[in-house]
Amino acid sequence: MSRHELDGGCGAGDAAAYALGALDPAEASRFVVHLNGCAVCRDELAAFRHVTWALLLAVPQIRAPRGLRRRVLQSLPAEPRRVARRAPRAAWLAGGLRPALALGGAAMLALAVASGIELGPGAPASREYRAQVLGSSGSARLRVAGSHAELVVHHLPQPSPGHIYEVWLQRRNQPPQRTAALFDVTSAGDGDVAVPGGVEGVRRVMVTQEPDGGSSVPTTPVLLQAWL
Amino acid sequence: MSFLRSARQTRPDLRTLADEDLMALVHEGEARAFEVIFDRHSNVAFSLAYRMCGRASMAEDIVQEAFLSLWRSGARYDRGRGSVRSWVLGAVHNRAIDAFRRESVRPSVDLHVDDVAERLVAKEQTAEQVEQRDEAARVRSALQELPDEQRHVIELAYFGGFTHSQIAEMLQLPAGTVKGRMRLGLSKLRISLGDRTEVLT
Repeated sequence: MSRHELDGGCGAGDAAAYALGALDPAEASRFVVHLNGCAVCRDELAAFRHVTWALLLAVPQIRAPRGLRRRVLQSLPAEPRRVARRAPRAAWLAGGLRPALALGGAAMLALAVASGIELGPGAPASREYRAQVLGSSGSARLRVAGSHAELVVHHLPQPSPGHIYEVWLQRRNQPPQRTAALFDVTSAGDGDVAVPGGVEGVRRVMVTQEPDGGSSVPTTPVLLQAWL
Repeated sequence: MSFLRSARQTRPDLRTLADEDLMALVHEGEARAFEVIFDRHSNVAFSLAYRMCGRASMAEDIVQEAFLSLWRSGARYDRGRGSVRSWVLGAVHNRAIDAFRRESVRPSVDLHVDDVAERLVAKEQTAEQVEQRDEAARVRSALQELPDEQRHVIELAYFGGFTHSQIAEMLQLPAGTVKGRMRLGLSKLRISLGDRTEVLT
């Protein structure tokens, strides 16, 4: 048994509780940050995840009600595909971004910075908003060109298994509005997603981690936000 | 109804495809491929939902919501991160936890389901399903072999959606004790199951 195990692990059982989904949201955010710098906890979590996945498969099997099949399949045509495909990265997005920003708990970056960028004759003016990343490492920028908006992220943590990042739009005095923009990140934590419908009238673009398929209302703390 | 009519006419070749190949079609919006995925995994999905909430009507809602969410996010399936079966079950699990937390609806604290019989009749089971059932029985057996206090906190957290602090309050234990039991229990399961967990997932 390693010293790490003798000590109960860095988080004293946090990897197990995290794998079981039993950490409070704030604890889970702190543990994700901790994972970035702790290979022992990463390995332990990976092993525990295999166990928890096995537990999912181990429940006694009962037959689904017959009506459920009809109910689900009938509803498919009315259910629009909400997945946001990765938009081809425009040439003007190829510029380098600032290095990853490691932020703790409630720390926030300065408010977004907007700057006009001319793209060339005939091209719509582009504005770029630096997003605040809350309680996690990483950086993000929102690029807006005409009616097109795209969120570009770097060095974000991977969503938990079975989860995805979801983009929300918030207008003045309105609750966050769901979008069709769901995205994952590469192993390096990079990703980009088009924000459907543009951001006209939007005060804040937010991202939360949600179960696969997205949620109708945010169920986890805001991971990043860009004020417009 | 036209959709159901076309579903009944599902091309036989779709049913011969592996889940991962079907997901490539789902990615393109192919509803018939999704139908095959549903047929293959709806029982295990419903079983998990029922295991978690203990009510058939709520389990149906959870499964419907999970499958529809998978339809919407089908393009995101990544075979490198696990089987389609695991992906489906992960969605059901997340949706159930979501429902518990959103609606303040909780399953019974007593999550033992040993009295729930295996109700899938043998004639409906393929060889693969039989193998999965046997593997599942081995995992259940390993879970049952845990000391009660470790199994209980794992079941409350994973199938009940309770946080460690809620469990600590419920059982009148220090939070550290609950997390310690979770860690010990998962570590023992990891040893008991060995490489089988990777095969299962």
